Amino acid sequence: MALNTLEQQAIAELDLPTTRPFRLVDHLGAVRASSVVFLIAVWEIFGRQVNPLFLSYPSAIGRAFLQIVTTAEFQRSALGSLHVFAIGLLAALLLGITVGLLMGRYRLVEYLLDPYVYALDATPRVALIPLLLLWFGLGISSKIAIVFLSGLFPVLMNTFSGVRTVSAQLVDVGRAYGAGERKLFTKIILPASLPFIMAGIRLAVGRALIGIITAEMFTAVSGMGALLIRYSSALATDKFFVPVILLALLGVVLSNAVEKLQKRLAPWKETERAL
Amino acid sequence: MAVPTDEQIIEELRLRRERRWSIYDHPNLVRSLSVIVFLLLWEFFGRETDPILFTYPTAVAEAFVKLITSGELIKQLAVSLSALAVGFIVSLVLGVALGLALGMSRTAEAFFEPPINALYATPQVALTPLLMMWLGLGFSVKVAVVFLFAFFPILINTASGAKNVSAAMVEVARAYLAPPRQILFKVICPAALPFIMAGVRIAIGRALVGMIVAELFTAVTGLGAMLSLYGNIFETAKMFVVIVVLAGLGVSLVRLTQWLERRLAMWKETERALG
Repeated sequence: MALNTLEQQAIAELDLPTTRPFRLVDHLGAVRASSVVFLIAVWEIFGRQVNPLFLSYPSAIGRAFLQIVTTAEFQRSALGSLHVFAIGLLAALLLGITVGLLMGRYRLVEYLLDPYVYALDATPRVALIPLLLLWFGLGISSKIAIVFLSGLFPVLMNTFSGVRTVSAQLVDVGRAYGAGERKLFTKIILPASLPFIMAGIRLAVGRALIGIITAEMFTAVSGMGALLIRYSSALATDKFFVPVILLALLGVVLSNAVEKLQKRLAPWKETERAL
Repeated sequence: MAVPTDEQIIEELRLRRERRWSIYDHPNLVRSLSVIVFLLLWEFFGRETDPILFTYPTAVAEAFVKLITSGELIKQLAVSLSALAVGFIVSLVLGVALGLALGMSRTAEAFFEPPINALYATPQVALTPLLMMWLGLGFSVKVAVVFLFAFFPILINTASGAKNVSAAMVEVARAYLAPPRQILFKVICPAALPFIMAGVRIAIGRALVGMIVAELFTAVTGLGAMLSLYGNIFETAKMFVVIVVLAGLGVSLVRLTQWLERRLAMWKETERALG
């Protein structure tokens, strides 16, 4: 903002400061950066003093990271986890969207299925892990089942409520112009509920990640979760943090990717909200 | 001639007085039929299968009565619930206090945001082995895991609630010379309450998951330990009892928070209706 001459004169006469005084609020980026540096430094100094069996420190974790990620065992575990995660999540998305669409569109299907859907949705999925292990053994199929169940309900519930909020006017107009059931689904219901479905997918990705970790930790045979258990049993805290950090990164990357996808596939949600 | 009344027209044209019976008017009939058929099929086929792997409804009911009369279920439920309650209350108090502080000071927010985001992004289950290493297998590790699961949703929602308090309200309070304490308790807290309650609703579900995860891994006391134990000795019917109890717990906790949300934060709905 440019000042006029009168204002400039007044400032000069009164000897007012022409620059704003230094305030932390104007430098939030610096505060954030210093927070990260400060915490890492405190962790490093404090972590070096406690028993390494209980807590590690950043430089040791960095060393362990370089040491572990190149080993074949680690790469096999990581790929194994991702493989199970992908299969289970894909199955959950397919079935969740299909059943959600049917339940939202046909009331008879809704009434037939909603007792189970609500009951299973309210059951903490981790409680089913011992049962699924009993049924499917310690191998890959029980893990896929757990990932599937963790991811299924967020997608299903969101798709269902998405279809239910499709405006009846849109459907009526479609019908009036002679659209068949197929056209209604593909041209009206699916696009209109897409923002809800994408939100459900985002939730499902996070839940499925928790599902795979818990399952692998519980079976402790293979995968990243098994590594967590092995390193913690061996009291190798520096190595323990490597999968933890990688899993956190995986969660962030996946969630951001789905968000990007949501913006590309369903940009109309934002527009509608702005109105 | 008198204008014929509706009654007369209906009589003359022999219109039906009642709506035709339709399945869509009786959703609960469909629901109960669906559940009854499901239970009957389960009972019928469940009896044929190997009792080590599968079970049937009457066996589950029998196991339920047995576990209740022996007092085991009640005892373990009490253990689990006390860990849940302590962990949840701690996360509620700390989450709301820290959340309000972060929401009110942009500098504090910038400083604490990086570590909070990092911890929130980390799948919390992955940290359970570390907590078990630090705190052992007792009550305290359960409280810590429940806290870790429930803390972040409350913290993040409270902070965004405090951030979203309209500046006009705070300015009016300032103009009337309200001291900072009153601004906090009479303006910011009530305005942030709907957000806090939304956080509480998310947190309670996660706290339950945390409790089960901690008990599954420590496998010493509580419902999760029962689940793990009966899984290991192939008492499937008893496992189902625990799963059903946990599902009931999940449903009632969610209902409780919804009820609380409606009672404590009713202005949220009102405000939305105006906007």
